[in-house]
Amino acid sequence: MSGHDHPKAIGGKLLAAPMPALLALFGVAAVVMVYRFVTGVGQVSNMTDGYTWGIWEPINVVVFTGIGAGAYGVGLLCYLLNKGKYHGLVRPAVLVGAICYTLGASSIVVALGRYWNAYWLPWIPYWNLSSALLEVAVCVMAYVIVLWIEVVPSVLDGAAESRSPKWSAIGKKYGPMLNKVMPYIIALAILLPTMHQSSLGGLMLIAGPKIHPLWHTALLPTLFLISCLSMGYGAVVVLVNLLRLTWNGKQDQELFAGMSKVNAGLLFAYVVIRLVDIAVHGKLQYLRADFATFLFVFEMALFLAPAIMFFTKAGQRNRGVHFGAAALAIAAGSFYRVDTYLTMYRPVGWTDGKANAAGWDYFPSMGETTVTVGMAAIGIAIFIAVSRLFPVVVVADHKNSNLGRGDARAATSH
Amino acid sequence: MSLTRRDLLKGAVAAGAATALSSEAEAREAVPERPEALGMLFDSTLCVGCRACQSACKAANKLPTSNVKAVGGEFDAPDDLNAQTKNVIKVFDAPGGRQYMKQQCMHCADPSCVSVCMMGALHKEGEGKRLLDFEKKNGSGIVIYDKGLCVGCRYCQIGCAFNVPKFEWFDTFPLIVKCELCRHRGDPKKTGPLAVANPACCEACPRGAVIYGKRDDLLAQAKARVAANPKAYNPHIYGEKDGGGTQVLYLTAAGVSFQDIGLPKLEEESMAHFSEKVSHAPYLQGITPVALYAGMAFLIARNKKKEEEGH
Repeated sequence: MSGHDHPKAIGGKLLAAPMPALLALFGVAAVVMVYRFVTGVGQVSNMTDGYTWGIWEPINVVVFTGIGAGAYGVGLLCYLLNKGKYHGLVRPAVLVGAICYTLGASSIVVALGRYWNAYWLPWIPYWNLSSALLEVAVCVMAYVIVLWIEVVPSVLDGAAESRSPKWSAIGKKYGPMLNKVMPYIIALAILLPTMHQSSLGGLMLIAGPKIHPLWHTALLPTLFLISCLSMGYGAVVVLVNLLRLTWNGKQDQELFAGMSKVNAGLLFAYVVIRLVDIAVHGKLQYLRADFATFLFVFEMALFLAPAIMFFTKAGQRNRGVHFGAAALAIAAGSFYRVDTYLTMYRPVGWTDGKANAAGWDYFPSMGETTVTVGMAAIGIAIFIAVSRLFPVVVVADHKNSNLGRGDARAATSH
Repeated sequence: MSLTRRDLLKGAVAAGAATALSSEAEAREAVPERPEALGMLFDSTLCVGCRACQSACKAANKLPTSNVKAVGGEFDAPDDLNAQTKNVIKVFDAPGGRQYMKQQCMHCADPSCVSVCMMGALHKEGEGKRLLDFEKKNGSGIVIYDKGLCVGCRYCQIGCAFNVPKFEWFDTFPLIVKCELCRHRGDPKKTGPLAVANPACCEACPRGAVIYGKRDDLLAQAKARVAANPKAYNPHIYGEKDGGGTQVLYLTAAGVSFQDIGLPKLEEESMAHFSEKVSHAPYLQGITPVALYAGMAFLIARNKKKEEEGH
């Protein structure tokens, strides 16, 4: 295969802008985290016994991994439905996935009160299989490893093309070896997110009356699985657009036209399932002139808007409209997830759709926000650094797109 | 090559099947009542709000005071259960006058905290993933805490409908704090419930508003009180079936609902039962993930081979 349609290491200075700013943001977050480990979670956060997860769980884990689900979504298309033309999207999506999941997992360590006991988690005799969180924890830990293994082909490719004979030999030797076992790793990379993304919804089943009836349903696992895919596909589109604007990354709009139909279908399916679910379970009575109804309608609109945009010609052909739809798809999933975990969560429970006035108040503290922002910043920094050093991004060659022809191979092939 | 309608259909069928599986819940047995279950009976018509139980609890569990009001001296005045308070008396303006209400762990028959706890740090005595030194398989049903298996994730706080487990927010090495029915005060030399545990609150109560014993006996006693004085009592015994049943039972006055005294309205199906049956259903006892993995590995390997040979 000719070199030019391979993903390429971007090169350039590692510390070029915006790297210093990103590192600075993470630096501040690191200080907060150190302070938290010395003094306790309560010192840096506004979390209480009522709002016990604050924003770290809903945003750093549930939203970050939703964005990282682009790896899962593209993997499904590429390997399971055998749409080889999506290969060029695999490497960037997998790298974003690996980063998002790693950050989600490390944020949890910061949030855990007794993190030092977490070393027991891989010990199977102690597993409580009733716990959705155990499922998420074990699955996410395994998936983080799988995702980084999926990143390794980029690194080995980079090594193979290296000028140093030693590195080149390593790349040429282990690249094909890894390539052989890759299908079995990719199958895991599809199974694990299917399990833990639905479990992220299943996590909140137990909260029952604490979650507003318009959000609490036995279909939480299904809705979380769908929303991770719609967010993931959206994230891939946003990422590719950003790569085009910054590094002249290749963007094949033809390719996105096909993918946008899938995402439109997912977004529509989500809306239909939610509406039918509340109708069937007699929850239409909760639609009244209050904040919950407003938020519910807002969420539905947020899912419907990109669904419609993705179905239209303009939404598929016009880069701007398409980008907008993708950004809305991410926003829709993020709102749904944060609303379920936090906005529509009341520790004292909802009675007939009204929040019991007694109880706790919560708004994230500076410390919590700093950690969330810092984690996002270091994620972007890692993406930039890896893309500069290793062949992850397919760069446009000023002529026609190479992505549509299905010969730009990535993670599994060559 | 673009996505055909057929591809989309295939995807939709797969998604539909997954959805159908997850809603067609497979039966997870309801947790049967433990014949030896221990608990308490609180009668709000007898409580005068003296808080002797609160002080006794703090002494018995070596807990510090909290929310101290320093007006001419110290006064322990927690406004809720917290990391320093495992037992609290609350007052509610209910129909027909004030009602005092004692709150502590309910020791549910099928507790959410136990269902969600990743490694069984919170577990029914003798039914966890490992036994603590003092622990016996006595069927007491007391929900106890094994700090060695707690990672401090606080999922128990999300799960508990009564908001009982509390977290030491301002400690470097925090613990989950909650009532363990004074398990440590049990005296093996005695017989019956006192051999297993001996809640300080029940010992201290000057009015007999809260009493300790076997749940069966307490339930019978509660029913007898209601039967003997039907005009004085709300006929519902809270905890008999609420939330799947609790080992701490509540009686309140006629005309007062249990929501008036701060207890949540719960279905007879425990939330643990609901959540486990919905979550476990699609797994088909672990067959689904294995089958899915095998199927996908096969498909992916085949697709890859085809692609390498074909195009």
